[in-house]
Amino acid sequence: MSIQINDVSKSFGSFKVLEDISIDIPTGELVALLGPSGSGKTSLLRIISGLEEADQGAILFNGEDMTHIQTTERKVGFVFQHYALFKHMTVFENVAYGLRVRPRKERLSKVKIKEKVEELLGLVKLESLAGRYPSQLSGGQRQRVALARALAVEPKVLLLDEPFGALDAKVRKDLRRWLRRLHDEFHITSIFVTHDQEEALDVADRIVVMNDGKIQQIGTPEEVYDHPNSPFVYDFLGNVNLFHGRLENGKLVNGHAEIEASTAKESEGREAIAYVRPHDVVIERERVSKEAVPAEIVHIHVVGRTVHVELKRKDVDEFLEAELPKEQYRKLALEHGQSVFIRPGQLKVFIPEDFSI
Amino acid sequence: MKKLKLKKHSILPGFGLSLGFTTFYISLLILLPLSMIFINTASMSWQDFWTTVTEPRVMASYRLSFGASFAAASINVVFGVLIAWVLVRYSFPGKRLIDGLVDLPFALPTAVAGIALTTLYAETGWVGQFLPFRVAFTPLGITIALTFIGLPFVVRMVQPVLQSFEKETEEVSAILGATRLQTFRKVILPEIFPAALTGFALAFARALGEYGSVVFIAGNMPMRTEITPLLILTKLEQYDYAGATAIAAVMLVISFVLLLLINGLQWWTNKRIAH
Repeated sequence: MSIQINDVSKSFGSFKVLEDISIDIPTGELVALLGPSGSGKTSLLRIISGLEEADQGAILFNGEDMTHIQTTERKVGFVFQHYALFKHMTVFENVAYGLRVRPRKERLSKVKIKEKVEELLGLVKLESLAGRYPSQLSGGQRQRVALARALAVEPKVLLLDEPFGALDAKVRKDLRRWLRRLHDEFHITSIFVTHDQEEALDVADRIVVMNDGKIQQIGTPEEVYDHPNSPFVYDFLGNVNLFHGRLENGKLVNGHAEIEASTAKESEGREAIAYVRPHDVVIERERVSKEAVPAEIVHIHVVGRTVHVELKRKDVDEFLEAELPKEQYRKLALEHGQSVFIRPGQLKVFIPEDFSI
Repeated sequence: MKKLKLKKHSILPGFGLSLGFTTFYISLLILLPLSMIFINTASMSWQDFWTTVTEPRVMASYRLSFGASFAAASINVVFGVLIAWVLVRYSFPGKRLIDGLVDLPFALPTAVAGIALTTLYAETGWVGQFLPFRVAFTPLGITIALTFIGLPFVVRMVQPVLQSFEKETEEVSAILGATRLQTFRKVILPEIFPAALTGFALAFARALGEYGSVVFIAGNMPMRTEITPLLILTKLEQYDYAGATAIAAVMLVISFVLLLLINGLQWWTNKRIAH
């Protein structure tokens, strides 16, 4: 089922939680709502599910206006960060709940319900725990019960609010892979909220980056990561180094460095900031171009196959972070306290007046 | 089994000391006075004991006391849950005032409550004159008095449970297609049940022992509106100490068994929820 969000706004008192949000989600897509806390992403999810009402705007499922349809009737699946399992029911009863509360006429027979619940428990690999109570399960298991429970009613739309936020790193990674596979198998249109950019980049077909109740950028993970349209998106998706400077002759002058910047003529002479990802910072032993800046290595730490190098610039008092593969690190024979030259490989220049951060 | 649990490692020391003190305190405050009842009763012969405690007038008082207390506690469960619900879920002007009023039956001297209720419900009273049936000096009046004094228990037991209730659990129920009634019955009620049961037990126990507020509104007609505590007092006034304690012992044993049953039920429901 496709989801259309048209001009949705919501405020609590004078505080605007959401401002003119419009998103089109085609059938079967897995979309991540990504943003810092307080960006309105959870409110948007709750409005889509009908748990909250928008002040204005409309929510359409398959072109059908759902704005004033009650939650009970929307037939969505919803998974909360803290599972919201029914504590006094067993795993089996939790999953069966949505099937058992149906009006008598639509309700499946007891045998059918049992079959269905067992099938779902198989899907989340919890068959052996059907008789347990939620308090006897681990966090990852609880969230899988919550997912099975949401899927039991065969929702056309699956909404997940920070579904893996309360889990530890390993379980989180497993579960999000599992979610991706589940999605590929069943093609339920899904929206999940997260503040974890890695999670969004890893799982989603498309990412909606939100901040202060507004959409910053919508695009595939590659688009938003490689071509952020604003400093906020750049900053939020991964680490970033900033080069503050002034635009002169199409170049960003910053300390002793002149960095090539392709900006419009009228920005001449204005303050600008170049954004460079750590893995786009090139470290060299010799100065080969005018872009290169002398720097000193302050710290090196190795995480798996990548090496993080912290540098202190010699011309201006600023710190930089670079990331490079281990092989290259060995080839360069970098050492703590060494003097090297760095230059930005790929960068994006933003002029602060255009964007307020 | 128990022994193993006692030795369980704990970061808080003082298990022996605190358990010892608890035992001493409970003995001094509860067990010692209670045992006096049985010791006093023991001065009677079995024959005397049996005739005293099964006298028709006494039997009638048991029925009235337990029946009215049970009815009052049941009424309190229903409306106590309702009041707790309203106080937790809604905000309205005067909410704090109502919240404070709930505790008043505890603070008011019971005799004052009894006199006030009697004046209201007497045949010529403010409320009594509009009712087609008699309230004061009937078992109904006694039930009203017992309901009044037991009100705070259920409210105060259920309130914190409702307060800590996760709103998300209700929301999930609605999303899964449950009606409001289904959500209340299947999700909320099981959660507040243990607390409501505790409230019931407390209100029931309190009603059984209540004297002050009842004697005024009851009218104290033998066989009809005489509660057991009043009979005990009557016997004391006639210097029949052994007879008084005999009735008290019977009442105590029955109450203890009933409360034990309620506790058992509670333990059983708790076991299902909190492991």
